[in-house]
Amino acid sequence: MRTSGVFTFKGASLIALFLTSAISALGFLWPFLINEKQGHPQWIFLMATPFALLLLLISSSNNQLDSKSIALLAVLTALIAALRPMGTGAVGIEPMWFVLILSARVFGPSFGFLLGTLSMLLSAILTGGMGPWVAYQAFAAGWIGLGVALIPRSLRGKKEIFALVIYGILAAEFFGIAMDLQFWPWALGTDTQLSYLAGAPIAENLSRFFSYHFLSAMAWDIPRAIFTASLIAIAGKSILQTLRRAHTKAAFLTPIEFIEHVKVQKASN
Amino acid sequence: MITFSNVSLIYPQSTKTILEDLSFQIEEGEMVLVMGETGSGKSSLLRLINGLVPHHTGGILAGDISVDGISTRTVKPGSLAHLVGIVGQNPINGFVTDIVEEELAFSMEALNFAPDVMRKRVEEVLDLLSLSALRNRSIATLSGGEQQRLAIGAALVMHPKVLVLDEPTSALDPIAAEEVLSVLHRLVHDLSVTVIIAEHRLERVIQFVDRIIFIEGNGDTSIGTADEILKNSDLVPPIVKLARALNLSEIGTSVREVRRQTEDVRSKEYVRPSNTPTHTSTAIEISKVSHSYSGKTALNGVSASINHGEIVAIMGRNGAGKSTLLHSIVGLHSPQAGEIRVDGVDPTTLKGAERRKSIGYVPQEPSDLLFASTVSEECALADRSNDLTPGSTASLLNRLVPDISTHAHPNDLSEGQRLALVLSIVLSGNPEVLVLDEPTRGLDYRAKNLFAIALREYATQFNRPVLLATHDVELVAELADRVLFLAEGEIVADGTTLDVLLSSPAFAPQVAKVMSPKPWLTVSDVVHAIEGQS
Repeated sequence: MRTSGVFTFKGASLIALFLTSAISALGFLWPFLINEKQGHPQWIFLMATPFALLLLLISSSNNQLDSKSIALLAVLTALIAALRPMGTGAVGIEPMWFVLILSARVFGPSFGFLLGTLSMLLSAILTGGMGPWVAYQAFAAGWIGLGVALIPRSLRGKKEIFALVIYGILAAEFFGIAMDLQFWPWALGTDTQLSYLAGAPIAENLSRFFSYHFLSAMAWDIPRAIFTASLIAIAGKSILQTLRRAHTKAAFLTPIEFIEHVKVQKASN
Repeated sequence: MITFSNVSLIYPQSTKTILEDLSFQIEEGEMVLVMGETGSGKSSLLRLINGLVPHHTGGILAGDISVDGISTRTVKPGSLAHLVGIVGQNPINGFVTDIVEEELAFSMEALNFAPDVMRKRVEEVLDLLSLSALRNRSIATLSGGEQQRLAIGAALVMHPKVLVLDEPTSALDPIAAEEVLSVLHRLVHDLSVTVIIAEHRLERVIQFVDRIIFIEGNGDTSIGTADEILKNSDLVPPIVKLARALNLSEIGTSVREVRRQTEDVRSKEYVRPSNTPTHTSTAIEISKVSHSYSGKTALNGVSASINHGEIVAIMGRNGAGKSTLLHSIVGLHSPQAGEIRVDGVDPTTLKGAERRKSIGYVPQEPSDLLFASTVSEECALADRSNDLTPGSTASLLNRLVPDISTHAHPNDLSEGQRLALVLSIVLSGNPEVLVLDEPTRGLDYRAKNLFAIALREYATQFNRPVLLATHDVELVAELADRVLFLAEGEIVADGTTLDVLLSSPAFAPQVAKVMSPKPWLTVSDVVHAIEGQS
């Protein structure tokens, strides 16, 4: 017997994670995949993504979350959600990402996914910015948490911080691309050089998108990447230490043994 | 109600058994005290009762524990929630809501009680713990005693049969502690709740409890009535020490009992000992200091001067302004009116190394000063910042607590060890003035003794002043030369320890209560007086 572990996706919830992630990935990428002039694909995906998120959260909260994971998740979600509004207004100053990345590093990618999605949802409530785009933001943040799995578990010390800094830059850029993708078909209307052109070839739309992204990246994504990376570089070591200590203290997956007599046990050893 | 049969516990990544072969039974409506040195496993024992150990911590549990017929092996702690109420060491850490009423209702909401039942139970508990005047108050504004009562109330709404409390009075002033203990007494006697309580301040609780479980340092445990256990124990309250020193036939646990047996000692006349030398040169000058927090007055025109070589205790109820006064002296803030001079200097102007050399400050939560990840790192850091030869802080620490593990994380140390660590770091700066805020919370008698010796040494050896805020009257009686008594931000008494403590019934130490009207505060005072006479 063991004490309960940190939340991980497994079995049915893992399948749910893949399916819902796939749906929401389509929600981001449809402008390049659907070459149709008719219909309203953007509306379909705008509906589908929030439902996918809802489905995923229901499936993972059914009985796999135990009290310790919930407590940790709640504290970290509150922290990250509170950090998010701190950056609104200032361009790209978003202190939430480095906490999310470091937490995901310590408590695992599955936990990181839940943490990312929940803190996006919560901060949307806090800032009053609730809308269909929240589901996209939540998925993107969740994937950033999940993506920490790319860094080898055994890395420690300077190498670990270095890897996390690189990951922080990539994550900041990824979030920028994802948000632009989500926003792009709606943003510019239909008549500019950079607008989404329904029915145009993929190459055409790709080039239009990247020109658009390049413009927005200068303002948002580059400052975000620099800010996140420097926070990881500066505070990463001590925050990792604190989180790892919490991880040890919480005694996840520690064996529990019930025996009759301690003396009997000693004799058998 | 609670049965432990042959219980031993080993924590994960440890080879040491915390409890060894412990067997006892606690009946319904009993009040049992768990005592032992810091780190002996008192808290583990309490957490075994509701299954938090080992279900949340891991480890090996031998033997069986059953509560009301349910074995903690088979059920998770959540399924015992209605049966066992637990109140942690620091109630403020356990609160989840902001308002008193909401806090009381919270645990019932979590277990999906019907609204009318919740409403009824909240009212019941408000009445039972005399909390009804506070029902709409914000929890943050409650005093320590009120918070502790609320924490007990929040556990009681579930109608538990067992109530477990970890050091419920250690942060409280004597009056608030009395309040909390009388509530517990009432629960035991009127509602037949079984109460298990861990506490270091034996002098406060001993008269209320039916039996004692004593966990000794070597893992042995004994259980019995107060008289049986205290007869052979090293950890005893002053009242028992007094009985031993006077060779009384029976050990009493209440002032009344011992007073009856010591009539002949009190009836004789004794020579008053000559007064201790007075200290004359002023070290700290406080003149007409006032301070308030958002309209609430914390200090109101406080004037006092503290001399070199003096140990001064600042006493008073929770919220009387003790910490604010200390903060002003240390220079954490400049008072809104009046001024403070420490050796002629305004403390708020001190910076860096100069500050470390002038004022040593141990805050209420000593771990606030610790930030390295091991004890040895902390010591090395102190050596470096004070230009000492490497190892001097560590050797100072070693003198205070010999068996401290240098690789441990500071937060994993026991309260006493952590205090010793902070004290040695602060003392390594060799400060001109030492200021301590509530330093003995969570310390057992042995650690407290060591601590008192260290402070005395510092004060006499270097002729420097020590200032400490505390609720611990027994410590004050042993240690302090002078007492400043604060109430509502004003000094209401300033005089020698003897005069101040004897004049206040609530703040008088046990020995003084027993020996009243004789002017003795501690066991050694009594012994000296008797020896001087014969």
